[in-house]
Amino acid sequence: MYLSNIYNKRKKSGRTENISGLLMALIPVVGFALFGLIPLVMAIVIAFMRIPGRGDIANGTFNSINNFVEVLSDKMFWKSIGNTFVMALSLPICIIIALIIAYLLTKNIKGKKVFRSIYFIPYVCCAVAVALMWELIFNQNHGILNSLLGLTRETAIPWLTSSDYYLGVMILIGVWSGTAYGIVLYGAALTNVNSTLYEAAKVDGANSFQSFIHITLPAISPTTFFLVTTGLIGALQEFVRPQIIGGGNGTGPNNDGLTIVFYLYRNAFSYDNTMGIAAATAFLLALMILVLTVINFAVSKKWVSYD
Amino acid sequence: MIKKIKIRKDTSEMVKKTLAKTLIYVVLVLFALWIFIPFSLVLVTSLKTASEANSLNFKWWPEEGFTLQGYQAVFEYTTGSAIEGVPLLIMGFFNTLWIILPPTILGLFCSSLSAYAFAKLRFKGKNWLFSLLLLTMMIPGTILLTPSYIIFNQIGWVDTPLPLMIPGMFGAATCVFFMRQFYMGIPTELLEAAKLDGMDYFTMFWKIMVPLSVPALLAQGLLGFIGGYNDYLGPLIYLQSPEMYTLQIALNLLKDKFSLSNVPAMMAATIISIVPTITLYLVAQKYFVEGIATSGMKL
Repeated sequence: MYLSNIYNKRKKSGRTENISGLLMALIPVVGFALFGLIPLVMAIVIAFMRIPGRGDIANGTFNSINNFVEVLSDKMFWKSIGNTFVMALSLPICIIIALIIAYLLTKNIKGKKVFRSIYFIPYVCCAVAVALMWELIFNQNHGILNSLLGLTRETAIPWLTSSDYYLGVMILIGVWSGTAYGIVLYGAALTNVNSTLYEAAKVDGANSFQSFIHITLPAISPTTFFLVTTGLIGALQEFVRPQIIGGGNGTGPNNDGLTIVFYLYRNAFSYDNTMGIAAATAFLLALMILVLTVINFAVSKKWVSYD
Repeated sequence: MIKKIKIRKDTSEMVKKTLAKTLIYVVLVLFALWIFIPFSLVLVTSLKTASEANSLNFKWWPEEGFTLQGYQAVFEYTTGSAIEGVPLLIMGFFNTLWIILPPTILGLFCSSLSAYAFAKLRFKGKNWLFSLLLLTMMIPGTILLTPSYIIFNQIGWVDTPLPLMIPGMFGAATCVFFMRQFYMGIPTELLEAAKLDGMDYFTMFWKIMVPLSVPALLAQGLLGFIGGYNDYLGPLIYLQSPEMYTLQIALNLLKDKFSLSNVPAMMAATIISIVPTITLYLVAQKYFVEGIATSGMKL
């Protein structure tokens, strides 16, 4: 009698745990289903449809693979891929600088906190403000850089309006705003490196450069991998910076500021009847991200160590 | 003799060390300048007269003197503002606040509640649901742009702030992951004891888990707030009536207005827009760094 009572009680408590656990856990999942899963399925459907106007899906018609044919035969699409990858060159530069700075910050120096605070500030600045900031520096007619170079109106360099400089400037801005995140992550990773390894290396006669290469780099390789993977996914979706610097709907000189997402955005929200093309672009972008991530993971087995 | 040699070796070692240290300081200071100089250029320019800022003759110390005319121009620019007499930029600031605060707070609540369930409770389908959430983090946001717009357009949410508010209220997958990680570190014995006292599962969360996780919650809340504050693409797509423009959109409007005629005003607007986030960061620096450092540790 007593035993069965306990048994019943436990069963009952298990049931309430089951129900309340499920209810609590479910809220974000429901949100994801409504605002993630449904649009995801729709994204695939729309990629094969022709949608009139600006998203009039009720009058949409099946368009077979024509959207894809149109995107893939559009020179601007290929150009946008090239631009996106050139701008993504800021990623490796950011990672290397972040590693160097984070490593130097582990040394016994004064004012560490101040340095750290300054380095992190770009992370909290909105992309619009960052774009305006750099426009002040690189503007041809009143830009500070041209002024510091001692140029006049006639000899001023068109940093933002000439194809020769534009993408370089974009990479530079990317480096300026992108190092903060890496410095924080590397900072955390470096403090977690087992210090007995360094001592052992020192006993074996390794200098600090050798121990950096053979101990530090492998120990923080998971962080490097994280930065490369997430950074690449982010870089492939670059949009705000070129959009603002290009001035609303401008795409920079010679369309150099047209990134993949900018191309997608234009078709979705600036032109009529091209939502299907935007969806097809998104589909291709997703595919590209997927392939690159899979490659990343596959290659990571060769250089990332988790121990 | 031997001693002498040893001393000499020590001094050369010391010279080497001081040299290395100086080099480290030089690199760190140079990098700090690289980050800091653009800000100071913006600040100096915002305090110049329009004519001086427009010339190709940059001076750190303005020749025509310091003036607040740039800030004045921003604060006098009320065109397009929904509220009588309130500057466009300030209206944008308030719009941003009331649009992002509800999803930030409610989303944080839902995420942490869900994280607690995933970390501490046993229920059917737990692993399956968790993998589903994992999937969310894999989907690049830009892919959902077009279909989301079409859906929101169909249900009449375009040109309202609802698309920017409602989805976030359900919580975010990344936040669930972070909080779950945190809750798994809290000993289950605490909950067992509370259970014996007859506490129900929600009270356990509210009375035990939440107080124990205030720093982690703050970290996530701050990151969520900054993310919402700095969001540009969302408001750009969904808000079409000027009275709902957020700070970012208002800032971009001011750019079109001032970029040719009044550069100091543009820079003043830039300063005004980043002061709130930088202040918040400097005040709550510890939580920010913690939030970011932990989010990137596991993959």
